[in-house]
Amino acid sequence: MKEKNKKVLVAMSGGVDSSVTAVLLKNQGYDVIGVHMQLWNGGGEEKPKGRCCSTVDANDARKVCDQMDIPYYTVNAQDVFEDYVVNYFIHEYLQSRTPNPCAQCNNQIKFSYLFQKADELGCHFVATGHYSRVIQDDGVYRLYKAMDQQKDQSYFLFGCTQKALERTLMPLGAFTKSAVRELAEEFQLKVAQKPDSQEICFIGVEGYQQFIEKKVPAELRPPGLIQLADGTPVGEHQGLYRYTIGQKKGLALKTKHHDQYFVTGFDSQTQTLIVGPEKDLFRKHLIASHAHWIRPIPSPSMHCKARIRSQHKESRCQVTRLEGDCIYVKFEEDQRAITEGQAIVFYEGDEVLGGAWIDRVEPQVAYAS
Amino acid sequence: MLKKLPIYLDANAGAPLAPSAKEVVLTFLNESNFLVANPSSIHARGRHTKRAITRARECVARTLGEKDEERILFTSSGTESNQWIIRSALEKSSQDPPHWITTPIEHDSNLQMVRWLEDRGGTVSYIPVELDGSLNVKKLHDLIQPETALVSAIWVQNETGVINDIQELSSITQSYGLPLHVDAIQAWGKIPLNLKQTQVQYMSFSSHKIGGLAGTGVIWTNQKNLLPLFLGHQEKFKRGGTENSLGIMSLAGACLDLREDKIAYVASLRDRLENAIKEKIPGTKINGGSARVANTSNLSFDGVLGDGLVMALDLSGYCVSAGSACSSGVLEPSHTLMAMGKTRLEAMAALRISLPMQELHLPSWEELESFVGVLGQVVDRIRNAVRKDERKK
Repeated sequence: MKEKNKKVLVAMSGGVDSSVTAVLLKNQGYDVIGVHMQLWNGGGEEKPKGRCCSTVDANDARKVCDQMDIPYYTVNAQDVFEDYVVNYFIHEYLQSRTPNPCAQCNNQIKFSYLFQKADELGCHFVATGHYSRVIQDDGVYRLYKAMDQQKDQSYFLFGCTQKALERTLMPLGAFTKSAVRELAEEFQLKVAQKPDSQEICFIGVEGYQQFIEKKVPAELRPPGLIQLADGTPVGEHQGLYRYTIGQKKGLALKTKHHDQYFVTGFDSQTQTLIVGPEKDLFRKHLIASHAHWIRPIPSPSMHCKARIRSQHKESRCQVTRLEGDCIYVKFEEDQRAITEGQAIVFYEGDEVLGGAWIDRVEPQVAYAS
Repeated sequence: MLKKLPIYLDANAGAPLAPSAKEVVLTFLNESNFLVANPSSIHARGRHTKRAITRARECVARTLGEKDEERILFTSSGTESNQWIIRSALEKSSQDPPHWITTPIEHDSNLQMVRWLEDRGGTVSYIPVELDGSLNVKKLHDLIQPETALVSAIWVQNETGVINDIQELSSITQSYGLPLHVDAIQAWGKIPLNLKQTQVQYMSFSSHKIGGLAGTGVIWTNQKNLLPLFLGHQEKFKRGGTENSLGIMSLAGACLDLREDKIAYVASLRDRLENAIKEKIPGTKINGGSARVANTSNLSFDGVLGDGLVMALDLSGYCVSAGSACSSGVLEPSHTLMAMGKTRLEAMAALRISLPMQELHLPSWEELESFVGVLGQVVDRIRNAVRKDERKK
């Protein structure tokens, strides 16, 4: 290891994963600097009841750094987080899209703003506790799934650039979660038994709907009709932001067999929610934009596997590049509830090739491959 | 134990322990064989502690130019002193709800009381601030209302070191018969103080800003009717609870080391440092006008935004500060610099250098020269790192 490259900024949430990351790197001889990002202060309102943004986590991160005798800082990332993650989240719901704030946070905050902080502090590397692996091959950095497929977080990292990966350390990619907890016990970290964080960090126990209701005036999220695909009215809704594709709960339909209907689409022009039987959820074709490839992919068209949401079972598809950073994806088999606003992430074996944001779900073949 | 002691340039946050403070405390501990008896006890050892506190009170009063030591009350901190005064003056006011006049450049301990008062239906007005960081004291005339119950103002601003014109302020409050509360926490030891020469009703001080131990604050008041803070017989039935005897003694010790003849030397060192920084780093701006205390510099560097500067300097072995830190340790933009027209990110990046007033801890010119070199490198690094889209804000 070159002397000047020994300094590493470890992003410390105050949880067990990033704490173990910091210890592992210190034991490997790096000059570790622990940084906790304060992401959200409730936008000037009361603190969310959720865990991620509380001073408890900052203090946990600080205690771990004290235990290791390494410098610790809390970085104020509230403004960038509000701009790039919270406002994006609200905006997407108001466009009848279902956002993915964690992928957005990785793209805009952890693998962007945090690298700026690393530059400011003179750190060559940035380390995170993500369950994913970075492997260098002939000067090209490749991103792989974690060994622990249960914990794999590579889906959320599709936006990583070569420039960032060259400076990224993710030492947990080779461990299982239980092994990490065992290491935390072995290192006698106070956070060893701390529960994993759940849900979206800036949304408290009240849920995302109330969050949006607090942030957005009622005129911008009007109620409207619920209709079948043929235009038959079957109920009323209290704002399209309350629904996502494939949702069944909370529809309160005034029709026979009301429990057999799912959200299948939105008409933002007329603020209409479209529902239909489950079979209407199955689609093969989509258009996505802001496509990003982690390493150069020469071919304009390729076969690979893709996930359309983080918990989706990856499926075979063909990707065709369109103009700019747009792509057309055709799955071999029907996929349930492809959702606009979510990320589609492409895999070849365990390698993450890249991803894009789903813009349109096409009912049938619209673009020749 | 720290591996190598960093250079300490953050005396406004907490001054190094004064040699006399250390001596007074150690002498007492040795004399009492490390048994600090309760000063309320009637036995010999209790009286020994009580006597030390009485002497400390006399010493503090004398240092402040006050003959009557009974006008000195010991508290736990500057925050407690400020909040106790404000709360008492507003709660016992005949105006209901009362109106309070303060300034946008007060210490946070003072500004916390804005919310407290507003929650009780009271109202607040602010004396405006000039771009040089000083209060536009004359504007006070326009703010006074029939309901005004108290005027509070900071004498020396903790972040910029700017000295406000308390003489003029007190002559205005005097002409309206209004009580004036002055936060003199950063003024003590940095400018000549003589309470006899001002028409002030309440003043607050803090021990660790002048070289005593943290954990002791002071209220000076010539008013008899301060409302009790805690029930109990201590501090003339105003503040129950066993006294922080050693802290109070350390404060008296620190008073012995306050010497006005040091001020000019610290000022010359600070001016030399500022000139060296301006020469080394183009785009350096000094925040705060010419009427500043000797030890404080508040600097902005064009293109340096956000909270990285203090952290980067810390990693290089220099203790400085910026903005105001909250409980999680996160820097918030300085409300003082925002009141002086800076943006949020500029107000987070402004660097405060505050030199210790004691010779023992005052860095040498060689140390300050190397600091200027490191500061130049760090500023360059941050100027290159700051994202272009962030600069627009």
